[in-house]
Amino acid sequence: MAVMDTTNRLRTWSQAMRDWPRTVGMPNVTKTELRAAVNATDDWLEANQPSFNAALPLSFRSQASVAQKTFLFSYTAMRRAGLLKAQED
Amino acid sequence: MATVTQQLDPGAAQFLSTAFPAFVRTGANFPVVGLAFDATLDEAAFWLIRAVNYGSGNLTIHTDWYADVASTGDVVWESKLAVITPDTDTQDVETKALATLNTVTDTHLGTVGQRLHRAIITVTNLDALAANDDVWVKLTRNAVNVADTMAGDAILTLATVSYSDV
Repeated sequence: MAVMDTTNRLRTWSQAMRDWPRTVGMPNVTKTELRAAVNATDDWLEANQPSFNAALPLSFRSQASVAQKTFLFSYTAMRRAGLLKAQED
Repeated sequence: MATVTQQLDPGAAQFLSTAFPAFVRTGANFPVVGLAFDATLDEAAFWLIRAVNYGSGNLTIHTDWYADVASTGDVVWESKLAVITPDTDTQDVETKALATLNTVTDTHLGTVGQRLHRAIITVTNLDALAANDDVWVKLTRNAVNVADTMAGDAILTLATVSYSDV
């Protein structure tokens, strides 16, 4: 995988602002600063993708697609931040 | 001499088929209804008013808005008019052009994200406005303007147009 192109980064930034949860609130930043954060996040994901992959148990790592690993990563991170409500909650 | 004020209700706004704000309704203890203008796309709302008892001078548009999620940054609001004098102007109403825009940049005052702000646009491009003309008012958040720095939607709760009757 490579980092997202300009268009995809722009759309990520735009949609993130539309979907930003009121429950967590927006940090005290401007649009430009938020866009830089989107780019930095994408860069970090690209740089750290190998270590995340290596940390996964072999069975999952070898069976799961990139999209499946991304889904798992996203859900785990969201739950950690209090953004994922489970049916059991 | 008096000032005439007309309200531009978000619920009465009209839109083109693209690039329009979302209609939102929130509020814990009373309904807060507004038009949510995007942070990256220019979106516009329109109202038709009659300039009853217009005398002379500029129009003033008071734009009351609040931030959906942000607590800092600037919002650029712009307005354009299209004015027609019924029975006099021969201009096709469906192809009438809007006059040059007027704009204001309003800064989020911080402390509380969803506090209400009032941006004031002085409309100097009046498109030959005269008393009792029909006036189409276009209100846009110029989100692509570099001066528009606020993240997230700007929600318009009410706008007014005011002018002198002399």
